[in-house]
Amino acid sequence: MQASEIQEKVVKILTTYVKDQEALAQVNGATNILDDLKVNSARLVDVVLAFEDEFDIEIADEDVDSVNTVGDCVELIGQKL
Amino acid sequence: MSRLSDRERGVLRLQRATSRLLSPLWIPLFVGIMGYWMRWRIDGVTEVRAAYRRLRAVPGPLLVCANHLTMLDSFVIGWALGGMGFYLRDFSALPWNTPERVHFASTWWKRILAYLLKCVPVTRGSDRAEVARVLDKVGYLMERGEVALIFPEGGRSRSARVEADSAAYGVGRLVKALPGCRVACVYLRGEGQDAMTDVPARGERFHASLSVLEPKSDKRGLRASLDVSQQIVARLSEMEQRYFDDRQ
Repeated sequence: MQASEIQEKVVKILTTYVKDQEALAQVNGATNILDDLKVNSARLVDVVLAFEDEFDIEIADEDVDSVNTVGDCVELIGQKL
Repeated sequence: MSRLSDRERGVLRLQRATSRLLSPLWIPLFVGIMGYWMRWRIDGVTEVRAAYRRLRAVPGPLLVCANHLTMLDSFVIGWALGGMGFYLRDFSALPWNTPERVHFASTWWKRILAYLLKCVPVTRGSDRAEVARVLDKVGYLMERGEVALIFPEGGRSRSARVEADSAAYGVGRLVKALPGCRVACVYLRGEGQDAMTDVPARGERFHASLSVLEPKSDKRGLRASLDVSQQIVARLSEMEQRYFDDRQ
């Protein structure tokens, strides 16, 4: 799966959890999920679980620690696919 | 589970040693403030302390998880679990806390207090790496026989009831990373505590109960951590239901 395709799906999943919809319109790989998109930190786990379901992958606890930006998500998912 | 550097471990051991050294001063001070100045009382304290002593008598990691209604819950819970003499004899039984940095480490005197009172401050809403670092510190301490106290709802309950949907995944992650970890679920509520507040009222009469849980999950990865957290919060919710049933 291409990185652009992964990012498209990632952004679609994030849409449900994003508080700042305007930031979502300008999203790119460097967009920080907590700081820029204002996703509640407690909901970050739900986001990652949604990735597991969408991409049929398993993500370890430690992998979540490195997820800060949309690009991090795309890279992590790419590694697991 | 610990991924801490030698320096970080050393810093935690120094904090523990300093706190222990000064404990004959600050433990009586805080017990005195709670018992004589605030005139707080705890129903069920004899049973809770006996259950906690039994738990401490068995080696292995022990985590205290409690409901959260006031900013001083950790003080009252510590007092409910053991008396002054007990902690001076078994200092490791006095739980470590992970207070919100903004509340407890924002000024120099609060930072000193947090240091002495066995706290590892955490910034709510910070990135996962920082939260993971705090969990690593707590896990390291628990591996060394220390007890930790965590509020599995992740913060004070806005509804003043245990919020089953608010299970913080990090608690499950911590328990899962420590084989054989037991969880002492503590339900604490003041009779006049109808809403979330900063400080319990003077003269408050608390009710405390303790229930032991050894969470297991058939799930894997993040889902297992979340499952364990949810089991803990569900147990607290059951304890809360019993509290209100007993009062009808």
